[in-house]
Amino acid sequence: MDTVNNSENNSLKYESLKRNFNLFKQSKIGVLGLVIVAFFGLLALLQPFLFLTNIWDEATYHPVVGYDSQKIQATVVSCKDIDYPTPEYKTPNDCPGPEEVNIVAVAPYNPGIQEGDVIEQFIQPAPPSSKHILGTDSLGRDVFSQLMEGSQVAFVLGLLSAIVGVGISTLLGTIAAYFGGAIDAYLMRQSDLVLMLPTLPLLFIISAFAELQVWHLALVLGIFGGLGGSVITIKSQALQVKVKPFVDSARITGGSRMKILISHILPNVAPLALLYMVFSVTGAIASESILSFLGLLNIDMSWGLMISVAQADGYINQGMEYWWLVLPAGLAVTLLAGGFYLVGRGLDDVFNPRLRKR
Amino acid sequence: MLRYIVNRFIQMVVVFFLFLIISYLLFDAIPGNAFQNLLLNPSLPPYAYEETIALYGLDQPLSVRLQKYIVNFFKGDLGYSYIQFPKTAIELIAERLPRTLMLFSVVNILAFYTGFFVGKILAWRRGSKSETWITITSVFSYTVFYPWFALLMLWFFGLRMGWVPIGKFLTPSKWYDSPFDSDVVFLEMIKYMVIFSVLYFVITLLTKEIESLNLRRNIRLGSFFALLFISNFYWNTGQLSEMRFYAGDIAYHTILPVLTVTIVAFAGTALLTRTTMMEVLKDDYILTARAKGLSQKRIRDRHAARTALLPVVTSFIFTIVTIIDGSVLTETIFSWPGMGQLILESVLREDIPVAMASFSFIGVFALIAHFLADVSYAFLDPRIRIKSQG
Amino acid sequence: MSKNLIEVRNLAKHFEISNSFFTGKKKIIKAVDEVSFNIKAGESLGLVGQSGCGKTTTARSLCLLEPKTSGSVNFFNPEKNIMESIDAIDEDGMRVFRRNMQMIFQDPYESLNPRWTIKDIIKEPLDIHNIGSLGEREEAIVEILRTVGLTPPENYLQRYPHEISGGQRQRVSIARTLIMKPKFVICDEPTSMLDVSIRISIMDLMLNLAKELDVSYLYITHDLAVARYMCNRIAVMFNGKLVEIAETEELLNNPIHPYTKRLISSIPIPDPGYKRERYEVNFDELDKIISSNPNEKMVDIGNEHLVATHDTKDFFIET
Repeated sequence: MDTVNNSENNSLKYESLKRNFNLFKQSKIGVLGLVIVAFFGLLALLQPFLFLTNIWDEATYHPVVGYDSQKIQATVVSCKDIDYPTPEYKTPNDCPGPEEVNIVAVAPYNPGIQEGDVIEQFIQPAPPSSKHILGTDSLGRDVFSQLMEGSQVAFVLGLLSAIVGVGISTLLGTIAAYFGGAIDAYLMRQSDLVLMLPTLPLLFIISAFAELQVWHLALVLGIFGGLGGSVITIKSQALQVKVKPFVDSARITGGSRMKILISHILPNVAPLALLYMVFSVTGAIASESILSFLGLLNIDMSWGLMISVAQADGYINQGMEYWWLVLPAGLAVTLLAGGFYLVGRGLDDVFNPRLRKR
Repeated sequence: MLRYIVNRFIQMVVVFFLFLIISYLLFDAIPGNAFQNLLLNPSLPPYAYEETIALYGLDQPLSVRLQKYIVNFFKGDLGYSYIQFPKTAIELIAERLPRTLMLFSVVNILAFYTGFFVGKILAWRRGSKSETWITITSVFSYTVFYPWFALLMLWFFGLRMGWVPIGKFLTPSKWYDSPFDSDVVFLEMIKYMVIFSVLYFVITLLTKEIESLNLRRNIRLGSFFALLFISNFYWNTGQLSEMRFYAGDIAYHTILPVLTVTIVAFAGTALLTRTTMMEVLKDDYILTARAKGLSQKRIRDRHAARTALLPVVTSFIFTIVTIIDGSVLTETIFSWPGMGQLILESVLREDIPVAMASFSFIGVFALIAHFLADVSYAFLDPRIRIKSQG
Repeated sequence: MSKNLIEVRNLAKHFEISNSFFTGKKKIIKAVDEVSFNIKAGESLGLVGQSGCGKTTTARSLCLLEPKTSGSVNFFNPEKNIMESIDAIDEDGMRVFRRNMQMIFQDPYESLNPRWTIKDIIKEPLDIHNIGSLGEREEAIVEILRTVGLTPPENYLQRYPHEISGGQRQRVSIARTLIMKPKFVICDEPTSMLDVSIRISIMDLMLNLAKELDVSYLYITHDLAVARYMCNRIAVMFNGKLVEIAETEELLNNPIHPYTKRLISSIPIPDPGYKRERYEVNFDELDKIISSNPNEKMVDIGNEHLVATHDTKDFFIET
């Protein structure tokens, strides 16, 4: 009897899940967001799979310590500090050209080398090839593998900090709404206090205390996000639930405050909290990237770090010449953050009853 | 009501007090201090460090320093900068703040208008193909990885095309023989912009009651160009005619940061407008307006957009609060010497008086905004005013 | 003559509005103003009046959802067999009070938690008061579902409120209310948001259950016809005050207060041949009663028919 009931229950839940998903499918932007998020999710999962099955060997493809390079025959030339354009080169940036190498760069390792000699040269960064589909960076590391590693970091950090943040703000928001009075005033002023602190300088200060690991950052971002403005949003939603008759009838029956808070108000605030969580993933991914871009995060690899390295080595100022170093990481941050945002928008458009098409 | 305001005000003061203490403790907890590089300087005698520390009172225990700081703070004395000694923290802020405010107020006004306009159109065309595409573009422009995007903009417009200078506030070579201080020119520019916007705002108010939408738009557009024409004369009078060249240089340097930040910032307003507009469009009075046979454009601009404006403006006010916080990254990338850079430098080099002054400035700004928002909500929402007796 | 179940004396509930922004001048709204009535065991009282006259506020103060401003409420504690004041009872007394007092709300869409199954909703009071073993609770739920006409009960247990109709939801509300076999149930217009076709079946269900389970109702409605169908006695409320209270038929046949007369004359009679008797709004009859009993708030004119004697000229300003 019990098992029958359970399976019936499960099939009912499955039905309702299916119906909700069909509803969600109406929102084109939501589906697009889901596709983007799923794509990066697959990227994140694919890398360990490739390593475990030995399709990729770690020595070549490891995002941090891997090394691989293409060899070419390069002519040694001398790039002098003279007025450009010269007959060979238009600007200082064109020297040395492709398949050429500046004598200043190779002379210390090759004593007695002369202009016009041909030597074997490694090209780093190497452009995309069939072996490295997004090329390698200036240290001969596979960019695609780095992108996958960055995807893992973004997912872990984004989801962790969103869960922590929404957990805190949901708890505090419902408590503020339900108890009101002094507790409410205290929590609201606390969120004022947190909102007053400027985020980026604060993170600078925190990174001065200790090397920030990814999960530290996730906690810090989560806690500050959770104590700040989202408490106010969740509170206003909880205030709406608080005056519903089913809460009244639980009070009349004699349910304790805690019980009503946990079993009636929290479940009804949860959908909004979930939506908030999806949006806060967007913010967390952006924060992580900015911090690792600024070098404040103790991390081996992340999208922000990839951009940071590309900038420090001057590849961004050379624009599209080294596009595989400049574009993938930046696009990845933009797309994944945007993907989560689109999922949230889609959920909001479809499940917010006030917006639902009549 | 008065009791509510007084109560709220006292809470605000307490929060600010706590904010000061927490910030001070945070800065104090950073290992090291601003003068440690004196120890590394071999040409200085060893006692130089101790004497400097004693001079600034850093040898005293934390509780004494904190107490003194807070007492002096409420006396209005925010102390001297450790790094740029003869200048006080307030002087530094007074020098840097106008630069940040000008850059970001231009950005915010541009972003607000474009964002509201785009959002309005998006909501109106709900479900159409163009709506989907513009929404997707706006979302990605909203979530774009900002430093990366700014660097690409710098590369494209600054390096590749060479249309705009790459960063900085002015071109130093042009200013070597300048008879003016850059700040004087800059304040003059701000004065001009304020006059211009006030005049234009007055024109907008005066034309508000014009019924025909086309006529109203044309009058506004016409007076905008008229104002530009008058500006021409304004910049030709007296000293201003000499200053024009230098003002132009500064304006030239603002183009790229303004463009970059606007592209990122408009999207937030557009997306918010889209949501609120969609909610408004479901309301019955829009149906009534349709039933009355009003033109689509009138319903959109006069009935729906006006109601949707309120939450958008509220969120816009809160965005203004975060200007200084948000300026840190922009100013670092564009080497724009404003508040953001000041905060960053002072935090990194542990220039505590300057850092505290900047933090408390941001804090006061945010507190006042929140206070005003709360009080006006209480005033507008009768439910807050009713109290159950018993 | 049975015992009183609830005694309400001079119950008042005020709200404070400060209408001036700066001076903080306060204005007091008397939502419920010195209301007194009794409800006997097994008897149902209808509380009738127009929207906003304080019916719901009375009910909410009565079941402690909102603190009352003044006045007293006594209830019959069946375990100790005495009347107790709700302001002065111990924890145990409060538990008994909570078990015996329930409320059914107007809006069937909002009165059930949308995230809970029907089973959990009905089980909640049993869980709160820890009544019976888990198996006994399940049995009780099946039993009560059958009683309120939701058969077969197994079809409903695992459903969510949005999966059933408004009438079914109100039946679930009734089931939840009655599962602990309370002695007193407040019904706040339980049928006014239902389709007309379902109303009568819900009302019949409530009447039958009242007989079966020996429940008293305080039935709040704006519709005299409904009150007549459901209640033994009717109290008429206007602007926070009770104006008249009597046995149902006595009140309908012999209304004294002009407001009651107006209410009665507004009942639609679905008979084209019916000649409506228009009551003259005159205060003569009332004034006579008032002048002969100058010191009392409510005057008993016989047959337990009470009429209010506060200043009658306040009424009908709008008309």
